[in-house]
Amino acid sequence: MSLGILVLAVLILAAAGFLAGRRRAISSAGGDPRRLHSLPGHYGQFAALLTAVPALALLAVWLMAQPMVIEQRVASLLPAGDASTSSLVMADVRRISTGLQRLAVTDGLSPRDVAGLSPEGLAPRLRAVGVAVTSMGPETLAAARAHRDLQDRLGFWMVVSVLATSAAGLGLALARIRPDFRARNTTERFVMVILIAASLVAVATTVGIVMSLLFETMNFFRLYPAQDFFLSLTWNPQFRGGSDLGIWPLLWGTMYISFIALLVAVPIGLLTAIYLAEYAGARARSWAKPAIEILAGIPTIVYGLFALVTVGPALRDWFAQPLGLGASSSSVMTAGLVMGIMLIPFISSLSDDIINAVPQSLRDGSYGLGATHSETVKQVILPAALPGIVGAILLGASRAIGETMIVVLGAGAAAKLSLNPFEAMTTVTVKIVSQLTGDTEFASPETLVAFALGLTLFAITLVLNVIALFIVRKYREQYE
Amino acid sequence: MTDATAPEAAPPEPGSLFAPDARTRRRNAAERRFRAYGLGAVILSILALVLLLTSVIGNGAGAFRQTFIAIPVTLDAAIVDPRGNRDIEEMKKVTTIGYGRQLEASMVAAVAAAGLQSEGISDKDIAGLLSKEAAAGLRNRVLADPELVGQTVEVRALANGRVDGFFKGRVTMESAALDSNITPEQLVLAQRLREAGLITIAFNPQFLFGPDASELRPEAAGLGVAILGSAYMMFIVLVLALPIGVAASIYLEEFAPKNRWTDLIEVNISNLAAVPSIVFGILGLAIFINFMGLPQSAPIVGGLVLTLMTLPTIIIATRASLKAVPPSIRDAALGVGASKMQAIFHHVLPLAMPGILTGTIIGLAQALGETAPLLLIGMVAFVREFPAAPPEGFFDPASALPVQVFNFTQRADPAFVERASGAIIVLLVFLVAMNTVAIILRRRFERRW
Amino acid sequence: MDDIRYAERVVSAAEVKIAASRVQVFYGLNHALKDVDVEILGKTVTAFIGPSGCGKSTFLRCLNRMNDTIPGCRIEGRITLDGHDIYDPRVDPVQLRAKVGMVFQKPNPFPKSIYDNVAYGPRIHGLARSKAEIDEIVETALRRAALWEEVKDRLAAPGTGLSGGQQQRLCIARAIATSPEVLLMDEPCSALDPIATAQIEELIDELRTQFSVVIVTHSMQQAARVSQRTAFFHLGRLVEYGETGQIFTNPHDPRTESYISGRIG
Repeated sequence: MSLGILVLAVLILAAAGFLAGRRRAISSAGGDPRRLHSLPGHYGQFAALLTAVPALALLAVWLMAQPMVIEQRVASLLPAGDASTSSLVMADVRRISTGLQRLAVTDGLSPRDVAGLSPEGLAPRLRAVGVAVTSMGPETLAAARAHRDLQDRLGFWMVVSVLATSAAGLGLALARIRPDFRARNTTERFVMVILIAASLVAVATTVGIVMSLLFETMNFFRLYPAQDFFLSLTWNPQFRGGSDLGIWPLLWGTMYISFIALLVAVPIGLLTAIYLAEYAGARARSWAKPAIEILAGIPTIVYGLFALVTVGPALRDWFAQPLGLGASSSSVMTAGLVMGIMLIPFISSLSDDIINAVPQSLRDGSYGLGATHSETVKQVILPAALPGIVGAILLGASRAIGETMIVVLGAGAAAKLSLNPFEAMTTVTVKIVSQLTGDTEFASPETLVAFALGLTLFAITLVLNVIALFIVRKYREQYE
Repeated sequence: MTDATAPEAAPPEPGSLFAPDARTRRRNAAERRFRAYGLGAVILSILALVLLLTSVIGNGAGAFRQTFIAIPVTLDAAIVDPRGNRDIEEMKKVTTIGYGRQLEASMVAAVAAAGLQSEGISDKDIAGLLSKEAAAGLRNRVLADPELVGQTVEVRALANGRVDGFFKGRVTMESAALDSNITPEQLVLAQRLREAGLITIAFNPQFLFGPDASELRPEAAGLGVAILGSAYMMFIVLVLALPIGVAASIYLEEFAPKNRWTDLIEVNISNLAAVPSIVFGILGLAIFINFMGLPQSAPIVGGLVLTLMTLPTIIIATRASLKAVPPSIRDAALGVGASKMQAIFHHVLPLAMPGILTGTIIGLAQALGETAPLLLIGMVAFVREFPAAPPEGFFDPASALPVQVFNFTQRADPAFVERASGAIIVLLVFLVAMNTVAIILRRRFERRW
Repeated sequence: MDDIRYAERVVSAAEVKIAASRVQVFYGLNHALKDVDVEILGKTVTAFIGPSGCGKSTFLRCLNRMNDTIPGCRIEGRITLDGHDIYDPRVDPVQLRAKVGMVFQKPNPFPKSIYDNVAYGPRIHGLARSKAEIDEIVETALRRAALWEEVKDRLAAPGTGLSGGQQQRLCIARAIATSPEVLLMDEPCSALDPIATAQIEELIDELRTQFSVVIVTHSMQQAARVSQRTAFFHLGRLVEYGETGQIFTNPHDPRTESYISGRIG
């Protein structure tokens, strides 16, 4: 039974529960709904919720736990190896298991046929059903068979237990329905629990981020000394170990590019916001504001391609080469400039909100003294809006530091500590991508360093975000 | 602004209202300058964005039109069906190489028939005008309809990427002379074939609906798998993020007590909205793939990661629109004896719905364009097969539109720049459509209390 | 109305400072002010009274062209300051507002220090040659606004930290620091408690020696206490204008009488 049909079955059961609960409530009240504590629909809702929610929750937990249980059981069948090879073998086991499943379907093999398959000559047959296997020994095949058996068995029990839970919920609900049963209150408590659970998802996300980063970072520091990571000035990962993994060249590239980006975006974005908030007419504002929102929504990959195809070559041909500063089209300048363009709408729409939050009475006060518009802006509005604008700039900085696609396509891959903005440099985010999508095995320091880089990135942006949010919140309270 | 040495600093004389003094003139000049800076900034930012869009659209518009070669091909039964029994299983054993030979012969014949046979160009070079994908296309066509064997069919195949590039101005005679994949003679022939009407340039549906193609066949690369993968992920995000986001917002806005704990949740949500997207990718890799064992490159993982990324956006938008519903509505409902839950679900939520939907669409649009986290969960993989229908298809490998753009940029052939830009045009069309719907929703249903 | 204390009615040289004739104000399609004719005298306190929405604040804002900052606002008619039309295209509203200062309904100190608040006007208009001169202007303005003794030790403290009454006196000090000829006050006491109100009223009476003061007020008692001349506005029209004593004791127009005796408004 496939997952979709299982979910559908539970939902149909819940719908039936709704109808049954409502009918039972009415009949228990002798056909007079006024004698019920709650509306008939509430009894229906109660039955439906009790039918669907525990069953679906069980299904979700089962789906998450099942792969872990299977891996653990299967791993005990395999010869013990170190962590990295066993994870590779496990990947093979999973693939073969999928392949066996497909073979069973396409070639119509019975479970006994599958059990009788020998490792010889199996690889081409698996390839025919779209599963490429690198190596296959008897142990792997046995493990794969066990994997598949477990999957089948657990899958079967999952269907049974989910449907049983669902039916039990329905029965329990119907048994409790009596005219004096407070169905509305119970339903509402139930809904409340769901609401609270939903609000915890955001917390769970943060916990998940921090846990996964911390856990793998600790693994990394077991393989690679922390002081080298934080203090070394070289970044030179080697495929065969013995790498230098100092964070400084990456942090330098990140900061340099972000600095250039803010240098471009802050003045232009701020002046744009001032013009739109203070000078532009109502009609111009009414189309400019949504336009800016749309522009702020352009995906960064678009800017990345712009950097790669247009800005990079242009800067190289018109500036870097004539000035003798370098011959690379990907450079700090390319990435910084394009990132600056990306940040303009971000900074300007945040600043626009903040400038509009400055009370009109301050403007009146300044005009009343005979100040010109620009004097009012420069000497009254901007100082009043300063905290909010600082918050916006910090949020912009946090975005620039965490930006990935523009630097992947525009900044280059060479980790360098240099001042020349026309040289290719690299950033923390670029290295996270390249180390995690590369070919090195997962348990090596060269891959795990990505988590330490991620943790650093998360920590930096967290500090910037929290300060910015705090400032902006205080600022809004001031004028509310 | 203090000008301590100004000689005309004395208070203006009565009657000077009609004649601005020097200082006022200077101040007004400063005013005009400042205004010009502001206008300049607006123009500069518009210019940058116009440049961005023209660059992308200029590079990408060509991807939707492709060079096709139309030739009659006689399907020799001796080659495509050696046993002559029209048995599909037997015919499957004939590889694309066999069909390639058929195409080569037909190409040479077609060129000769058009009277364009020129010296110094081999049969192989003539066939080289066709895409390497053409043989596979012909094979699929024959396997789908074995009756074609022995007949002469009209084949309209993609031209080689270099030939296409030549007609689009990307490949020149000079570059062809240095290129091992094409010769100037071939281009001359292609030009003549175009004049003879055998080569046409037309809309290429394969770009929108076909799967990706390998590095050597840029002309055949399409976005079908990526669009489908993105659609799957958007579906997952919508189904998960909207109910969870709305439920969380209702709790936080309407029920949660105001204390340290809810304050922390609030800061946490605002922070999540600003956490770099790549960090969510690390989360997806560590939790969903390594810990929970979900498959790599699968839309389900991408969808879950993007759901977590979109949640803060939806929660912030939903809370804002719940807050905008005036308390008098709640009071009115409570006043007639509704429970708080009823007041919210019957009255407040429907009134807040336009704002919630707007926020959701904007969140979806963000998720649609997100690239970095998807790179980390393995969606960069080269995927040619379309994922199955949901829900099983959610676990099949797929690509996503923005990741496909990135994939194209990582390939050497410059023809892929056109493909990448074309893919961005498709992406932007979706985004603009979504944002427009959001703006219209807001304009139409926006209520001022 | 016997409890009303009338201000001294010593109207010195009755020279006309501001003259308005047939002033019309439109906000978009809304005709907010119709056919207003007023002559405001120098060194006199003139009060504008009337029910809310009657146009008195709108008219006040015409006198230093503050309505220019409101989009969609259109003004017809003629207003002169010392005989010069202030709506003449050659007139720079910036220069006009230096001569016709304004104090607003709610105290609106800038989020700067007390000193910088007062020094703002003199600085932008370039009224001082040196730091010492600005110091002097600030001190004089604060003394005249009866605030000096309270703030002289904390001139660097933010103006927003003062109490409501002090903030409003700071705004008055800020307005008089540019040495205007006319001071417009738009319900300056409406956000203040009675004690602060009394201080401001006392201050207004003192300011009369140097400026022509125009005050919009909701309170008839206040108008009677501080002004020498009173104008009554109703539904966008100027109903009656004259000596304060005459308006309050012997109004010519029945509408004025109804308003003063509390039947309308």
